[in-house]
Amino acid sequence: MPWIQNLKTHERTQPMKKIYGIILALIILVIAWNFFGPKKFHSHPEKEFRFVIASEPPTLDWSLATDNVSADILFNLMEGLIQFDSDLNVKPALAERWDISSDGKRYTFHLRSDALWTDGKPILASHFVDGWERLLNPKTASDYAYFLFDVKNAKEYNAGKLTDFDTVGIHAQDDHTLVVDLWHPASYFLKIPFFWVTFPIRKDIIEQFKDAWTDPKNIVTCGPFRLKEWKHDYSVTLEANPSYYGEKPKISTATAYIINEDSTALSLYDTNKVDLIRRIPPLLISHYKNLADYKNSPFLRGYYYGMNVKKKPFTDSRIRKAFSLAIDRSQLSTILQGNQIPTSSWIPKGMFGYDETIGLKFDKEKAQLLLAQAGYPKGEHFPSIKMVYDTRDDNKIIAEFLQSQWKEHLNVTVSIDNQEWKVHLKMLETNPPELWRLGWGADFPDPDNFMNLFTSYSGNNHTQWKNKEYDQLIEEAAKELDSQKRLTLYQKAQHLLTEEDVPIIPLFIDSQNVLLKSYVKGYTLNPMSNNILKNISISKND
Amino acid sequence: MNTLWSDAFKTLSKNKPALLSLFFIIFIILVALFANLLAPYGYEIQNPSQRLMFPNRTFWMGTDILGRDLLSRVIYGSRMSISVGLIVAICSLIVGTLYGSLSGYVGGKIDNLLMRIVDILYTFPSLLLIILIRVIFGQGLFGIFLALTIVGWVDVSRIVRGQVLQLKEMAFIEAARAVGVKNRFIIFKHILPNILGPIIVTLTFEIPAAILSESFLSFIGLGLQPPFSSWGSLANDGFQAFKSFPHLIIFPGFSIFLTVLAFNLLGDGLRDALDPKLKNA
Amino acid sequence: MIPFILKRIFISIPVIFVLATITFCIMRITPGGPFDKDKAIPPEIKANIEAKYHLDRPLWSQYFYYMKGLIQGDLGPSYKYLGRSVTDIIKDSLPVSVELGLYAAFLAFLLGIPLGIIAAYKHGTWLDSSSMFIAISGITLPSFLVAALLIYFFSFKMGWFPAGLWEGGWEYKILPVAALGLRPVAIIARLMRTSMLDVIKADYVRTARAKGLSEFPVILKHVLKNSLIPVITISGPLLAGIITGSFVIEHVFAIPGMAKHFILAVTNRDYPLIMGVTLIYAVLLILANILVDVLYAVIDPRIKVS
Repeated sequence: MPWIQNLKTHERTQPMKKIYGIILALIILVIAWNFFGPKKFHSHPEKEFRFVIASEPPTLDWSLATDNVSADILFNLMEGLIQFDSDLNVKPALAERWDISSDGKRYTFHLRSDALWTDGKPILASHFVDGWERLLNPKTASDYAYFLFDVKNAKEYNAGKLTDFDTVGIHAQDDHTLVVDLWHPASYFLKIPFFWVTFPIRKDIIEQFKDAWTDPKNIVTCGPFRLKEWKHDYSVTLEANPSYYGEKPKISTATAYIINEDSTALSLYDTNKVDLIRRIPPLLISHYKNLADYKNSPFLRGYYYGMNVKKKPFTDSRIRKAFSLAIDRSQLSTILQGNQIPTSSWIPKGMFGYDETIGLKFDKEKAQLLLAQAGYPKGEHFPSIKMVYDTRDDNKIIAEFLQSQWKEHLNVTVSIDNQEWKVHLKMLETNPPELWRLGWGADFPDPDNFMNLFTSYSGNNHTQWKNKEYDQLIEEAAKELDSQKRLTLYQKAQHLLTEEDVPIIPLFIDSQNVLLKSYVKGYTLNPMSNNILKNISISKND
Repeated sequence: MNTLWSDAFKTLSKNKPALLSLFFIIFIILVALFANLLAPYGYEIQNPSQRLMFPNRTFWMGTDILGRDLLSRVIYGSRMSISVGLIVAICSLIVGTLYGSLSGYVGGKIDNLLMRIVDILYTFPSLLLIILIRVIFGQGLFGIFLALTIVGWVDVSRIVRGQVLQLKEMAFIEAARAVGVKNRFIIFKHILPNILGPIIVTLTFEIPAAILSESFLSFIGLGLQPPFSSWGSLANDGFQAFKSFPHLIIFPGFSIFLTVLAFNLLGDGLRDALDPKLKNA
Repeated sequence: MIPFILKRIFISIPVIFVLATITFCIMRITPGGPFDKDKAIPPEIKANIEAKYHLDRPLWSQYFYYMKGLIQGDLGPSYKYLGRSVTDIIKDSLPVSVELGLYAAFLAFLLGIPLGIIAAYKHGTWLDSSSMFIAISGITLPSFLVAALLIYFFSFKMGWFPAGLWEGGWEYKILPVAALGLRPVAIIARLMRTSMLDVIKADYVRTARAKGLSEFPVILKHVLKNSLIPVITISGPLLAGIITGSFVIEHVFAIPGMAKHFILAVTNRDYPLIMGVTLIYAVLLILANILVDVLYAVIDPRIKVS
């Protein structure tokens, strides 16, 4: 193409080359300066706190909410009868004191007289009755209605067998006295009103605005913060509530940004765009561990692998024990790096009843002996079995670790499969495989919430293990008010669960890995990972 | 026909980037085939005391969070990535070619109907289809192959149909038909061989597209799962630690990049070599 | 022109219905339901919930119920985000995705076309080779890698732009648009270059030259117009690619767009939301294709639009 060549030679002259060169040099200089030079990240605003939630809250209607993200917001918008201090002891909140009858079946809560809703109306005992009625009403179709099933007739009302709520064991004796009647004593019952589904509710607001009642302009709450703005899928902003009865928050607003990708949240933290991170992926923990910002705290959440005791070879308890004995759990903490606590028992550390002596500790020889006794010496002719986990980065790492442990110590090959979360749940309900992963986070800080998972009638027990003795121990312990007797009962139950019958292999107790900017004061971590913001203050620019 | 291919080969050999790419692709295929001989360690051997090491003399590409040698994992990963690329591309090609040539050759109402179906498939967001197929068929290889193939053949069929339409008008096809040669015969003996060139070129572009789609699926968590590891899933494993352990994403990511680049350059070269229009330049 | 557009829109309506039906069927085949949770709920409660969302009715009844709503413009309630309707969710998130996508598309054409022209013009020089190398990198680098690199260099190391979020200022838009637009820019640049080189060699350009017309009008009128045709052809698939790519970008940069809902809705088995998002995307693609055909007619009236 001769004519194009001609054009080219016209263009290419000396001065052009020089100009290109200078521009290039300038660009390199600017880049180098910014790359290696001093960094000036944004300075933080003085009374605004910014944190991260991992996904959009599905709802802020507290009778319906079931997940942690909604809870993170709700615990600051609202308050219930009681609250926990940072050691999870029960303290007064909207109820300033309470009496428990000697038989343990009647609780009388005396409410504060000075607590107000954000629209100025006082909080009355009848609002609690309304809230509990809404929770139990079958038409509300609330997932967590069962939280109140210890209350007389609650279960029947929820099943539609009773239609008069007056028969249910909750009554407003007067404007500031709430009386609750239970079927039988329950030692953990005082902790239940902490849970958001038991918060009081304004029936009139819901009737007026219907589905839109949780919009910032309609919602009526009573906690230390109120809902200022909700940009769906993007952010939720809270502001200090001037009509809160207690000490007013020292920050003016708290904004939760909805960020699905952990590394993005961390980048924003690094560049001072957010002040708090509550989850660090395992790969990055070593990177942040040595910073002053890093904080670690136990978490009432257990991680385990369950076995289907109706599927061969796990019908034989010796093989189940062998699999549990063959795991060197101490390596898990080195791999996960987040101060997770390897555990062979089920009740987590920080909860009443925790006993680290219980359970099957790593013992390679014993594991091999049991396997041989069960008919598979040196792992020969062991049937092919599957282990299944729900798709997530850390689950994958742990599964691959377990697979190699069983290969190394038992000479057994287990194949790994994984499913998306919903499919995993469905599979556990209908046809659990030989080995499957699951976890459990405490709904309230009481061992019953952890131990009743494996009763023969629990909907959460996918192991197919049914043990009458275990059921009895759990039921007795739930009603037992003497703490020493309770302890003994739970010890026996844990012994059954993790040493004798072994339908599950507990692996570790999760921990919270948190990054908090040094200029934020007053934020304490608690083992329930409740996101309490009311005591936060932000000091001037550090 | 002979001169077309020998001409093409001559043109291709003059194209240095394309030639280099061809050698690179052959190299990668050899690596994939002989992975078990080349990898210094097994891809699943875990060394808990040597986790997250940077590249050093024992582990040329460093180690991952379970202490596994990254070099071995990348070598074995080539098997998965290349097989996904080749199988998906070949399947898409076969389905797409048959569909497109049939539609283009037959023409008329059937052509219209077939293309309407393609249009509908086209407007269906492919991502959704992929996700749904993966969820229904589970995490196995079959699900991935099926999902990527279903999305891939549509493009191929359009290209093939276009080529067939062009060819149909040519004199020798009309002559064959006038003489009474059976349609099936015409398709297989006359049409397909003549569009072989563009088909090969399309194949060379479908392979990297499949590899990239698989790495995208891995990123959103729907790619291959253990024990199968492709470069895409390796890159995804290391994505979050980009700032502190960049080797975890750089080595697999770069492998994807180089391989996809090689296929693209080869495809460009092949297209230039086989394009009759450029003959008279 | 107008009757043509109207005819195309008319034909698209049954396509949308077929699409809706296929999506409905596929969704229901998929195992796992919207209300399977990790904490098992007593069966009576689960029955209550499913009754509320009509999931206890036979499948064909649910199908008709949904289709009826669809005709009336009601896309149903979200199963996951209680109290919000699908229309609400789409209303909030679609504009964000459209904004992001349009910026990326503009970038693609504004940058890609001139880049391709320059590369063709300086065919064979280092400028050509280097810009084509950059272009091919744009096509071959996986998008999440591009996003990670951009955040690492421009946000973390140089502190020029924020690492994510989508507040009002223009600085939040730069990185995500660059990450999303890189591949389209590269595709268009390469295509433009190849197309221009093809056209330049074509016979009719030589003829025009031979006739004695001067350089500039020749290039402008004939070459450019005809080179743009392949570029317009791929605009449809290109837009589809931007839509797909935006999931990664929205996810990594924490942008509240509709692409994020795509994956989340399937994960949550939020049936109405899945349907709604699928249909919206289909509508967008159909509109884009119609636009492409219209542009064809504008560029070259010789091309029959049939």
